[in-house]
Amino acid sequence: MTAWLIKTSLICVLNVAVALLLSPLAEGIMRKLRAAIHSRVGPPITQPYWDLFKLLGKEDLRSTNGIVYAGMPALTLSSVLLLATLVPMGSAAPLAFAGDLIVVLYVAAMSSVLIMLVGFSSGSPYAFIGGSRELMMVLCVEPVLVVALSVGAFKAGTLALGGIVNWQVQNGPSISMAISGVAFFLALQAVAGKLPFDIAEAEQEIMGGSLVEQSGPRLALFRWALWAKQLVLAFLLVEVFFPWPRTGIFLVDLVVTALKVLVVLVLVAVVDVVNPRLRIDQAMGFFMRVWVSSLAALAFALIGK
Amino acid sequence: MGTTAPAVVGRVKESVAARCGGAVLSVTQPHADTLRFAIEKAAMRAAVEELVNKFQARFIISVGTDRRPLTGDFAILHLFSLDRAHLYVLLESPVPEHDPRIESITEVIPGANWAEREFRDAIGVDADGHPDPRRLLLADDWPEGMYPLRKDFPYNYQPPRAQNVRPQMGGPPSGASVVPMGPFFPVLEEPSYWRLFVEGETVVGCDTRLFYNHRGIEKLGDSVLTYNEIPYVAERICGICGFIHSTCYCQAVEKAAGIEVPRRARYIRTILLELERIHSHLLWLGIAGHIIGFETVLMQTWRIREPVMWLCEEISGNRKTYGMNTIGGVRRDLAEQIKPKLLETIAAVEKESIAVRDAIIGDATLQARTRRVGILTHEWATKICVVGPPARASGVAIDARIDHPYAAYDEVPPQIATQEAGDTWARVLVRVAELLESIRLVRVALTALPEGPICAEINEEIPPGRTGVSVVEAPRGEAIHFVLTGTDNRPYRWRVRAPTYPNLQAMPAMVANASIADVPITLGSLDPCFSCTERLETVDRKTRKIRVYSHAELLEISRGKAQTEGPR
Repeated sequence: MTAWLIKTSLICVLNVAVALLLSPLAEGIMRKLRAAIHSRVGPPITQPYWDLFKLLGKEDLRSTNGIVYAGMPALTLSSVLLLATLVPMGSAAPLAFAGDLIVVLYVAAMSSVLIMLVGFSSGSPYAFIGGSRELMMVLCVEPVLVVALSVGAFKAGTLALGGIVNWQVQNGPSISMAISGVAFFLALQAVAGKLPFDIAEAEQEIMGGSLVEQSGPRLALFRWALWAKQLVLAFLLVEVFFPWPRTGIFLVDLVVTALKVLVVLVLVAVVDVVNPRLRIDQAMGFFMRVWVSSLAALAFALIGK
Repeated sequence: MGTTAPAVVGRVKESVAARCGGAVLSVTQPHADTLRFAIEKAAMRAAVEELVNKFQARFIISVGTDRRPLTGDFAILHLFSLDRAHLYVLLESPVPEHDPRIESITEVIPGANWAEREFRDAIGVDADGHPDPRRLLLADDWPEGMYPLRKDFPYNYQPPRAQNVRPQMGGPPSGASVVPMGPFFPVLEEPSYWRLFVEGETVVGCDTRLFYNHRGIEKLGDSVLTYNEIPYVAERICGICGFIHSTCYCQAVEKAAGIEVPRRARYIRTILLELERIHSHLLWLGIAGHIIGFETVLMQTWRIREPVMWLCEEISGNRKTYGMNTIGGVRRDLAEQIKPKLLETIAAVEKESIAVRDAIIGDATLQARTRRVGILTHEWATKICVVGPPARASGVAIDARIDHPYAAYDEVPPQIATQEAGDTWARVLVRVAELLESIRLVRVALTALPEGPICAEINEEIPPGRTGVSVVEAPRGEAIHFVLTGTDNRPYRWRVRAPTYPNLQAMPAMVANASIADVPITLGSLDPCFSCTERLETVDRKTRKIRVYSHAELLEISRGKAQTEGPR
């Protein structure tokens, strides 16, 4: 029992550390890639660390008083770190239990909802519009995540993430999981706030949307949360939909998974850089179609493909 | 091409005379392409109706002049263009000082809206019956009854301090809320204030306050500077189409004074004008991409643009603001050894531009963001009298290079691109086509570049009382300079109208019922240039609330700065 506890807490710490400490690096690599496609030199890969460092040292300005508003950035980051402990990242998820899939979905949505609430309570018309756009994005992206993951749950016959991953490792690729993997990737693009779906921030239209009034340490925590979330969800994508090859050797698996995550993030950055921003109605229409396609994946799963 | 048909001149004369009867004081034709009527002000509206309804004349601008030192009255001049007939028509009315008002023509031709508000602000002649007689160009804290373009008004006057002034802006319709865009906003390189009235994400109306950038350039031109100093100031009207403004000014003076510009100089001007169009089109394309979040387009087009800037530097000594123009020609020759390099660079730019064009045209997401967005109908385009790519993208086939040829365009005629849809996508297509056309024109003009002097010799003083109207097709539309020559080696009146001036007036019609997300790209597709449009006053002003400072303190700070760093 004690050994189990120690092991679980160790992996918890490891996952949180990866989410916290490596997510700025992932962001830095993505920025560098963007710059390369732009024919720019671009910032150093470590720039996001310096950004956080600089922002954390700045004055804490708030446009609204109130304890909930004050705690939002920390809450958002904590919800993402909680998510990191629920997602398998190179090894089994530390906080795995039967039905954790549903908890993962809820916790993943938490940060979006919190950022939306910050927008609504900032007292700025831009933040308000950003909040309502965030709401609409959540409403159309969440169903895609749900259906994509339930395809896995249906095939594996379990609501535990670990069970789904094991089933995938044992049974190999299938049409339904490939389709829902693509759907999950598109949803990841939106959740990470990357083009063409960075509609809720839309600097050129609403000056950063929900986060327009955030600055200094508050902005640092929000940014950190968003970077960590994109990394954790990329792990989730890789583990659930593309878990092969699995050697069983902890370190090798970790490295392979990390490499696959890097590939996913590179893809996210490439899609980001070759697209202009969609309008909210166009994005909603797009995710409606993605959702219908992921229902097709569910149908494939029903006939055992 | 380019010669005015005498038959049309005759018909215009007859028509206006028949409609206005004895109210026509005189009819003159100062230049082959310029017909000038002096009309009693009571008949002005009728004459305008005649021109607009019968001849489809395009309104260009109004010029208010304080002629009190000369004839004891003001003069209001409405400038029209009959594009197909290559003819300018000037309708001028004397307005007595004791009754400074004239009937508004905005109802006849909506494009005159701003022009009439502007002469009210500048010389104090009211437009009777104007639908929206609010201030246009004077700052909100400018005292009433001070008219900066009157001759007895000192150019360096600083108004007394005012407290808590705000622009007079309309309120939202019931049920709608206000989303401010500006005065400072990420995608606007220059200040402009748009109040968008929105229901959810849909814009149901808007109101605007502009002219935050007045610099008093026209006033300087007729009170401080001399003929040959003005080209350098004119060049600084705009940071992008500077050469266009200095050429336009020089041409207006040359026309007024009857100076014949050598052929080589006209060709050099053409080459530089087209180079300026090339880099401006590329710049705009990049900004349009940036507005919809497509940074790759921005980065790549600006990279392609850079060699053009280097080329301009090699020709003139400067990347921008070349200082090449002077009355009578140009100041530097185009060196023979630069020709091969010019051709080489242009070829490289052409190759890359075609690659960008193909990438853009095949991009479905880009089309999703620009098709059926910000539609300017043909009807509104003619009513508001928009110019340049926005006009051509709405099926109005006007181009100053063809309608009123200048420089060497009579010998090197451009092909113009038009589209019918009137949406942002159409404007993109028009400008991309024009980019490639400009590259072709540079090549043709360079091959045909004749030998000879580059500047006319001017031995006589420029006689006073002559008028000259000149247009230059800037990348974003036609720029107009009107010069009335004066004594003391400077113009009596110098009037500038940049292309953004009419084009921005079309904005409210274009964003009606649009989504908020489409407003920036719609505005951007007009390629607005505020410093071009707003040349007039000399007041520095910053309002908008800031938490730490009080409004008065902020005003104090900004004014202190204006006084230490502003004009002495």
